[in-house]
Amino acid sequence: MSCAAYLDGNARPKSMCRAKQWTDEVENLYRFQQAGYRDELEYKQVKQVDLIDKWPETGFVKKLVRRDNTFFYYNRKRECEDKEVHKVKVYAY
Amino acid sequence: MCTNMRALDFKERGELKTEGFTVKSTMKNSVVVGPPAAGAFRERPAKPTAFRKFYERGDFPMALEHDAKGNRIAWRVEIEKVDYHQYLPLFFDGLCETVHPYEFFARQGVHDMLEHGGDKILPVIPQLIIPIKNALNTRNRQVICTTLKVLQHLVVSADMVGEALVPYYRQILPILNIFKNMNDLCLELTRSQGKK
Repeated sequence: MSCAAYLDGNARPKSMCRAKQWTDEVENLYRFQQAGYRDELEYKQVKQVDLIDKWPETGFVKKLVRRDNTFFYYNRKRECEDKEVHKVKVYAY
Repeated sequence: MCTNMRALDFKERGELKTEGFTVKSTMKNSVVVGPPAAGAFRERPAKPTAFRKFYERGDFPMALEHDAKGNRIAWRVEIEKVDYHQYLPLFFDGLCETVHPYEFFARQGVHDMLEHGGDKILPVIPQLIIPIKNALNTRNRQVICTTLKVLQHLVVSADMVGEALVPYYRQILPILNIFKNMNDLCLELTRSQGKK
């Protein structure tokens, strides 16, 4: 991802691939996609927020607001199981 | 020895089946049979819960979401703004439920509220004891397993919760004493913890 994408509020991804193995980044992507967003960038674009609620110990996303304004809460520990990893989409800008 | 004999054998030998500690049992040809089962492990279905009533009225600030993994709760109100004194005991009351979606909502709702409650949990502990006791008294293995997992989560959810539960041990522990030798119940709990 280029730094310019973060400055541009309307950046669109250029390519997408599927995650091969679990990492912290994949876990967060899983959480965003569960809530109906591509990733952190789209969430910030749609919801017009700068900061995202994250667990301080693990850095995983804690709370997200969905498009219908309901709230999804996530555990502090890993939620993306190994069998779900290959479904996670990783976007490149 | 006597209980294994068929009823006809009693008649053939002129023996009389009788209960213990009676005048009849002192007779020469009477055979004392064992006491009836006390039913310590017999399941006792819980009466309709307040959780079910509130859920059917739509009073809970949440909705059920189906996803690939299963189900998840979508909260209409931020958990930080939920009145724990009102809702947490209600969710604990729903632990007695065994039917979907009540069982799922109660379990997941308790989990979410404990995970994000922080210091709002400790003042509510006294109101949680009766629902916990009611859930354990159902003697339903699935309910007991769920309640024990909730207790584990409760204790680690905030500071001083474990200490706050000490005065209520006499209400919670007796039912656990009944099942202390039921090791297959423990095995199920250990297996599900391993999955976590």
